[in-house]
Formats: sequence, C-alpha cells, structure tokens
Amino acid sequence: MLHDLRLPKINPNMSSAVVECAYAAPGTLLKVGDRLFDLSVDLSSGFSQYCPPISYFRVVVREKLWLRKTLVAPGDNCDVGAMLALFSTEQDEPIEASPARAIRITTAGIAHHQGLWSASVQ
Amino acid sequence: MTSLPLSLGPLAAEGFIVRRSGLHWLCEDGHWCRPNEVIGYCNLSLEKLSGQRSGNFPMADELEFQVAFAPSIGGRLHIAGGYSPGGYLNAFGLHVWNADDVVGHLDPIADAEAGAGRLRLLLLAGRRMSGLADVDYGLLPGWHSRSRAWWGDQAGPQSTLLCIGICDAAGIVRGNEIPFVEAFEACPDPVQLVYVPDHPVVPCAPILLEQLNRTPAQRQAMAADLTSGLANSRTPATADDWLFAGALLSSLERSPMLESYDVLTPTGLRRMGPPDAVLLSLSAEMQSVLRHKKLGYSLQMLRHRQASAGPAVRAWLSSAFEPVKRSIDDIRRDYRRLIEALATKTGARVLILNRMSTSGYEDILSYAPFDAPMRETLEHVAAKEMNLMLHDLAEECDFSIVDVDAIAAVLGGTEHLPDGIHHSGAMQTVLRSEIIQALNSQGSARRIAG
Repeated sequence: MLHDLRLPKINPNMSSAVVECAYAAPGTLLKVGDRLFDLSVDLSSGFSQYCPPISYFRVVVREKLWLRKTLVAPGDNCDVGAMLALFSTEQDEPIEASPARAIRITTAGIAHHQGLWSASVQ
Repeated sequence: MTSLPLSLGPLAAEGFIVRRSGLHWLCEDGHWCRPNEVIGYCNLSLEKLSGQRSGNFPMADELEFQVAFAPSIGGRLHIAGGYSPGGYLNAFGLHVWNADDVVGHLDPIADAEAGAGRLRLLLLAGRRMSGLADVDYGLLPGWHSRSRAWWGDQAGPQSTLLCIGICDAAGIVRGNEIPFVEAFEACPDPVQLVYVPDHPVVPCAPILLEQLNRTPAQRQAMAADLTSGLANSRTPATADDWLFAGALLSSLERSPMLESYDVLTPTGLRRMGPPDAVLLSLSAEMQSVLRHKKLGYSLQMLRHRQASAGPAVRAWLSSAFEPVKRSIDDIRRDYRRLIEALATKTGARVLILNRMSTSGYEDILSYAPFDAPMRETLEHVAAKEMNLMLHDLAEECDFSIVDVDAIAAVLGGTEHLPDGIHHSGAMQTVLRSEIIQALNSQGSARRIAG
C-alpha cells in the first residue's frame, strides 16, 4: 500500500515552508520515531522585515514504512499540500498507483541548529 | 454643548526659548478623537536665550525632538487653519512655543471640566545611530540607538522604564504603529518610556553586565581590535561592513542602564537619573554566546542582524570569536549577577518577560524520537525549562516575571502569538497593563498575572 506525505498546514497562517533537512534516503526502511524532514515556516512569507517570524519544525514518522521517493531537497520552498515524499508498506511495491492515505507523523517545534540548510547559506 | 478651544499648554526650559515647527496632523478635520489619542505633532528645538553663556546643551545628542498632542477627553475635532504652512516650515522650529496657541476646537462627547481643552503633550526624543540617519517626516523617524517619550503633564515623569529586550519587549513599549503612542494612550502615569533596540547586539544578561562594568580602556581595545580586523581582512570591507561595525561599537560602548535623561516639562527642564526599572526578555537568553578569543567580551546577534553585516565583519566574527555554550545554570547565574549589579549601581528593578512554552502546532506523542537533552532540540521544552529557571531565580533575588506564557495561554497562542515571539496588538495591550501594574506595585520577586 502506498502512502504520501504532503506539506501539512502546521500553522494556520502559513502558506509554504522551506525544507531545511531531509534525513532519510529513498529505499530506507523507516521505523517509528525516525526523522523525515526539518522545515522552516516564515510567517512573513520571506518579506524582509524588522524581525522575521520564522519557526522550525521537525517531522517524524509514526509508523513503519519504506521511503520510496523523496520529491524535495534542502532549500526547496514548498506550498502547503505539496507532496514531499512517497512511502510503501512493502519494499518492492510499484509506486505508480495513487497513495491510499497520508503517513502518520509527529510534528514538533525545534530549536535552530547548524545542520539546517538556511544556516549554511547565511 | 460648548466647543472647547484646544490650546497647546506650557513647555518651559530655563535659559532657553522653546521653538516649534508647523503642525502635522495625524487625522482629518472632523475626526472623532478618543481621550489621549495622539492627533498631531510638531518638531521642537531649544534656543539659548541671548546673554546666556555657552555650555552644555541639553539633549544635544538627540537630534529628533518632538511633541505630539492629544485631547484629554473624547470629541469631534475641528482643526484651526494657519498652523501648518507645510514644506520645510513644518520641519524647522520657526515659531516660539506659545501655551495659548489654539490649534483647534473639540466638540466634547460629554460635559467637560474646566481646563479640559488644554492638549496633553507627549514629548519624544531620539538619539540617532548616526547623524546621517535623518529622515525629516513622521514621528521619531530614522534609525535610533535610543528613543524615549513621556507625557509633559505638570512636573513631567517621575520614573523611567527602560526596555532593552528583543521584539517581544519592543512591541510592548515602543509599539508597532506610531512610536510609543499605543503605550501612552493606555498609560496615564507620569512615567518615561525608553527603548534601546537590538541593533545589532542581542541584549542578553552577560552582555548587559559587561556593558555595566566596561572601562574606557576596554572600549578602546575593542574598537582597535574591530578596526584592525576590518582593515586587515582578506575580504575588503564594504560599506555594509563599516555601517555594521559602527552600530556594533555604538552598542557595545554604552550601557543604557546607566544613562541619565533631560526631560522637558511644563515647569522646566529637569534631569532624571538612570532608569528606575528595566524590562528584559528571556527570549534574548540564547543557548550560546560568542566570546572574543583575545579580549574576552561577549557578543550575540540575531541571525537576521548578522545577515546585514558585510563579508569582512562576518569573517571577523568567525575568526575573532568562539561560541560558548550556556547551560540553564549559566543563564541563571548571569541574570543573578546582572540583577545584583543593577541593584548596587542604580537600584533599578528588573522585569523579565518569560517565554511562551506551549504550541498548538505540534503533536508529540512520544519524546523517544528526539535527542537528549531535550531543551537543545525542542523549542518548547527549552522554553519551559527557562521559565522554571526564572521562578527558581525569583527565590534568590528581587525581580518581577511578566508571565507571557500564562497570558498567551489565556488569550490563545495561535491567534495572539503565532510564532511564539511576536505578540498581537491585543496581547501587547494586556502585557503593557501588567507591566504598568508591576511598576506601580511594591514588593519583591513575584509572578505577574497568570
């Protein structure tokens, strides 16, 4: 069975997020608690202002799945609802079919860290 | 109901003539005014009376000096003609201040007491980060290393609150509309509000403590080191580098907590001592600071501030400093030293805004996926531990906690604190009220609101 991960509306005021870290490689069997992505959400939508309201979040998988395809890379700006990755319950399952449902995730606010994509470009 | 003539009222400075520019109106003729709503302003200047000896000029370093005016009661405004010639005549102090000038009339909403037609005067002064940062329109325009305001009622302000936090504190004190106007419309008290921005240095406890104790020799050594760092940089210094370096030195060389203030009042110029209260922000206490490898001083900047530095300053920051991690106990110790040093040097009370420690945007069912120590990974665990540290510290020394965490929980964090640091206008109003209450109350360390 196929599952997908689309950019969730973590904050009701957000319209997009930047992928800051992509932790898992396609072909990896993910277990509960494995990291998928770190994201940054800028509520000013990138408008340069007084103090940008940027928050950082980590997306962690809550079920055992194979990561089959990652559609984004660090630095990509994604709209809410954009597909970030595709998963399957079986390792060699064809991935052309429509996903049955979204994967189960945990989202947590995290501190800024030096591994973030934006830390390397500042 | 009788229309009230709105007169400017007195302002005096012994040995000086108070002069004003033409008036700028912030509302239209016919506007319905709220009590204490700022409706217009003009620039002020002081001119030495003839025959007076030259000497120190009050407020000489505050090139923005203005007075805004507000009716003390609500009503419909009728603007008088002839006071706003426009152009540069609305900028230069061509007119001698006359208390009896009637600049408009007010149809009051209710019966007015005698004297209600006298406008309340809100004095505003700004010290430019550079003399070049002149913008000749608006209230407190330009880039200031310090700005302040006070109601010019009777004898003027009786106390001073200095705000040296980051955005969460700045919004409460300086506001996000017209500088200081939101705070003073809500605050009838004779208090002076002073705001020092985080341009570019984050006002965290170790930096503030070092500013308090820094000697002239140390300042000279820091300036020489920075100059040499830029001059000898492999990357040629750009205009951004020199501007940033100037702002950096300006910030490090002063201690805003030790500064005194001249205040203009209806009864004369008065000198006020250092602030009676200092508002700090727990959000400014980061988990690491930069420490200068040779000179040993501390430095920290917000990331978006660092981004405005040029390449030579960035190279200097990388080579001359090393990051030093701060544990919760380190932060607690730094706060305690700062509070005790302030108590000894000026007697100022400290108020600290705590942090929002919950989020509706996360759904953590297990902490197992996150690396220990959790405070270094999860933002809200860090906030909770920092808030708890403040409560523990309150057992040891005298300061007040302004409970942002509790107020946000009551008002709703999603609506009023969407990123955990920038408050809505409604939340700023509640926090302002809490701070004023704290300033007016006596006693030792306590938690405010919640």
